[in-house]
Amino acid sequence: MTEVSGLTFHPREGWIGNDPRQPMRLSRRGFLAAAAATGLAGVAGCSSKGGSGASATTTSTAPLALPRPDNPVTWPLYSSNKAIADNLTPEKNATLKVYNWVAYINQKDLDAFGKKYNCKVELTTFNTMTEAISKLRSGQFNFDVFVPTVDVLGQLVAGKIIQPLNHTYIPNISQAWTEFTNPFYDQAWQYTVPYTIYTTGLAWRKDHVPEDPSTMANPWAFPWQAKYKGKVAVLDDYRESMSLGLMKSGFFDLNTSDTSQLAAATNTLLDLDKLVNLHIDNNDYSNVPSGQIWIHYAWSGDMAAAAGYMPKGTPVDVIGYWFPTDGKGPVGNDTMTVLSGGKNPVLAHLFLNYMMDLPNVLENISYNGYMQPINGVTPDALVQQGLLPPSLTSTVVLPSYFDNGLRELQLAPSVDAEWQQSWLRVSGGV
Amino acid sequence: MPNGSSPGYGSAAASERRLIVARGDLTKGWAARAQNRWVWAGFAMPGIIWLVLLFVIPFYAVLAIAGGQLNAIFESPVPIWNPLNWTGANFAAVFHDLIGQGAFVGPIFVRTLVYVAVASILSLVIAYPAAYFVTRFAGKRKVMFLALLVAPFWISYMMRMLAWIDLLQTNGYVNRVLVDVHLVGQPVNWLGGKSVTVILGLVYGYIPYLILVLYAGLDRIDQRLLEAGRDLGLNRVRTFLRITLPLSRQTILTGMLITVLPMVGDYFTNQMLSGSESTSMIGNVIDSQLNTTSQEAQGAALSLLLLAFLLIPMLYYVFQTRKASETAA
Amino acid sequence: MTVITRPETPEIPVVDAAPPPGSPPPAPTARRWQPPWRNPWRRPWILEGFTWIYLIWSILPIGLAVLFSFNDGKSQSVWQGFSTRWYWGDPVNSVFHNPLLRNAVEQTIRLSLLTTVIAVPLGVAFAIGINRWRTKTSATFNFIMVFSYVIPELIFGVAMFFLFTQFFKFIHLGTMAEVLGLVTWNFSWPAIIVLARLVSIGNSYEEAAADLGASRLQSIRRVLIPLLAPAIFASAVLVFASVVDDFVVVDLLSSTSNTQPMSVIIYANTHGGNGGPALNALATLMLILSFVVAIVGVIVYRWMTRGERGSSGQEAMTSIAGM
Repeated sequence: MTEVSGLTFHPREGWIGNDPRQPMRLSRRGFLAAAAATGLAGVAGCSSKGGSGASATTTSTAPLALPRPDNPVTWPLYSSNKAIADNLTPEKNATLKVYNWVAYINQKDLDAFGKKYNCKVELTTFNTMTEAISKLRSGQFNFDVFVPTVDVLGQLVAGKIIQPLNHTYIPNISQAWTEFTNPFYDQAWQYTVPYTIYTTGLAWRKDHVPEDPSTMANPWAFPWQAKYKGKVAVLDDYRESMSLGLMKSGFFDLNTSDTSQLAAATNTLLDLDKLVNLHIDNNDYSNVPSGQIWIHYAWSGDMAAAAGYMPKGTPVDVIGYWFPTDGKGPVGNDTMTVLSGGKNPVLAHLFLNYMMDLPNVLENISYNGYMQPINGVTPDALVQQGLLPPSLTSTVVLPSYFDNGLRELQLAPSVDAEWQQSWLRVSGGV
Repeated sequence: MPNGSSPGYGSAAASERRLIVARGDLTKGWAARAQNRWVWAGFAMPGIIWLVLLFVIPFYAVLAIAGGQLNAIFESPVPIWNPLNWTGANFAAVFHDLIGQGAFVGPIFVRTLVYVAVASILSLVIAYPAAYFVTRFAGKRKVMFLALLVAPFWISYMMRMLAWIDLLQTNGYVNRVLVDVHLVGQPVNWLGGKSVTVILGLVYGYIPYLILVLYAGLDRIDQRLLEAGRDLGLNRVRTFLRITLPLSRQTILTGMLITVLPMVGDYFTNQMLSGSESTSMIGNVIDSQLNTTSQEAQGAALSLLLLAFLLIPMLYYVFQTRKASETAA
Repeated sequence: MTVITRPETPEIPVVDAAPPPGSPPPAPTARRWQPPWRNPWRRPWILEGFTWIYLIWSILPIGLAVLFSFNDGKSQSVWQGFSTRWYWGDPVNSVFHNPLLRNAVEQTIRLSLLTTVIAVPLGVAFAIGINRWRTKTSATFNFIMVFSYVIPELIFGVAMFFLFTQFFKFIHLGTMAEVLGLVTWNFSWPAIIVLARLVSIGNSYEEAAADLGASRLQSIRRVLIPLLAPAIFASAVLVFASVVDDFVVVDLLSSTSNTQPMSVIIYANTHGGNGGPALNALATLMLILSFVVAIVGVIVYRWMTRGERGSSGQEAMTSIAGM
């Protein structure tokens, strides 16, 4: 399937990308994101509310934890799934298998790692998290490294798909922001290290749209302007776009199960539909630079990479990106894990370590545009290295955003179904 | 297998056999011998088994999903294989979305029917004269015209849509021409969620199939009938109205069915040419539901409802084809 | 079918009685003038013009897309010079160098070949069997087969999707599922075409062979199959092209990016936006593939039916188009 309105609100969800491998040029293809309810069911045997999915449900099992910033989770460690021992030598004549989203890691980094540790590195890609999880659960594959989003971690841990990390192999964690040594979704970083971080904000073409969200009383209402009919787009991702509806209506719990809030969000998005013939796609990285769309609810990394997509003669500073300065907007991050079914766990650990080293991180950012929470990655550093146009420093994700930011996290299945139903209503299936 | 050295090769039996075959009666004589029957049945068996496994059973799977439940943890569909245990929950949810309060699928369905109606009538209006011209007046150039008519049939649908997307960009050729001849003041945002674009896209996409069917049908009309009409004093328009049109009625109907049926399930035209909710079709809803784990069962239910809706024209077509092939025999 | 044309004769000659010998020829009498639109044999300018406009509208956009696939730049409307960079020149984005696009081409060819090789024998055998084995069962399956032809592809795709995700779970979504789905979807082409041909051939040839002492197997192999060869071939060509173009079934049954053929890649990369000129190159390749197959098909078909009554280029083309 090319489209998965299922699992995660991930910039690569449902991506059918090709892969140009040029600095600042991302062959992002629109992915058709969305998340599906994954295994972290909070409530067992929940019944539906009127108007949502089918009401008949089957038997329940023990609930899995729903990590939240105010409800941090320490994942259990299993005796049958232990971390590797200390001081092992890296495997010889090995092929490290990395399983990542499409076009989300720089081949140069992979090649350099292979040279350094004298191994081959093989990258396999996936387009949707559901696809990835089902492949991993089938047990037919033996990948070593996996890049999951935060919301599927419970499933991966419970299914013993990922193994706990041996921290002695990953000293570069000191280069990462300190919060990631004890994130709420994986206390004491037992299973994960951080990969990319991103925000979702409003991108617009300054040359066509004189208004600026930062001057508006309700900046999230920026897209609701009838004069830009046909030129407004939101992401094809049910969590992200429904969140836009929620925020515009003044609700900032992006994991809400309150049906009246969801209804308000739905209605305001339906108004947007009517007002501007709302376009729904994940091509923000190319549509805004090309001028096809003038106002887009977009991902920070895609906009940071916009310079590579500008047509000849149009400077990149016509693109604006707004994210609330107080950080009260959607933020997210990806993680990197070691799979228990892999044949090269030592190399896998070394790879995780390698991808947190600043020079390699900068190399990666030059390829996919997405920031990583490593200490040297500051707006100035990025601008200086030519990885970020000065006009787009607003796409940078600051540590403070993680303190105040709104995270879109795992929902209980019935709540998730409500969200998906609302999105179907808004999108009409498109 | 018998190799022909069967009793009855003597002249009396042989001539009787020939008589039977000449009468076209295949149920007697050598064709009906027990072994013969099984030979032909053997030929058909692989196809029959294939159809059962991969055509009949899938629909049962769809029914089992549509009448099934949802897994509480994953909200994924759980099929119920026993017909006695089928639940109506998914169908109820779909009906609620179709015609209940706050129904949003109902308007989409109506819009689909409107688009399909407009697009198919437009297609007919365009295709019929072209096919008529080529069959009747093309003369020596008939083969060339036919090749040109058939060509889009061989060009993939995706490519034809892609070609239009290129042309309909804000700075594409269509806008350039329109602005240059001052038909519009500024470039029109064709790809920004316009019904017109989607309808024209549907027309462009499906018209080659219609034109081929019309060509085949019109070609079969005996020229001599038209000549006779001409001899009896009918002018061109009258010939058309009183001879050609009635004779091509069946063809038009078949052609319309071949166009309308696929169009109703179309979702990619809208996705490619518009990408907006204001032009979405029922196919988009089903496709989206299939790709959302918690809505797969509803997608199954909705597609069954769509199938039920289209069943009558489909059966009509099937019976027509069978009748036509039998009369041709 | 003959097309009878008459010469343009707008004037109605008036014939007088023969003039008396010796006298000068009589002056021609006035002809009754008829307005041009009353002439039943005039050329149908309006219809012809309309047809040409239709053909231009039908083919020009594709011509432009093909043209711009050779554009030396990214624009779809500004010609920047001829180059083959999108095919193999560009080291990153061209079809040849981009593994995603290259895999798509391979997958399309792989699916087309596999489907044709399976669907055609299956459909031909089915047609022969159904035609000869006249019972209620066979009539039912004939009905089911035509039903599979007329059902909207989305509904069929939905059924296939559930089949492979719920019932035959051991067949995961991917190339195998795609081939099985495509064969079922295209099974009706060879079945219907060969059935039609069988009906028009009748039993007489086989009867004659039996009279001459051929066994069943021999008569099938040496009489029936060669007679059916053009139809079998035409249906193979049709199935091949149909699979190259197919979208819905493969979209629903594909799993990862390397099981996605060209049609899915084009779709995925163009929703609501412009996917770039490499897609034009990809689509042009698809077009060339189909056309080559079609042209080869017409030529071979004509060669196969060269002795037959009524064979011509026109008949070849209509058969290859499935009519």
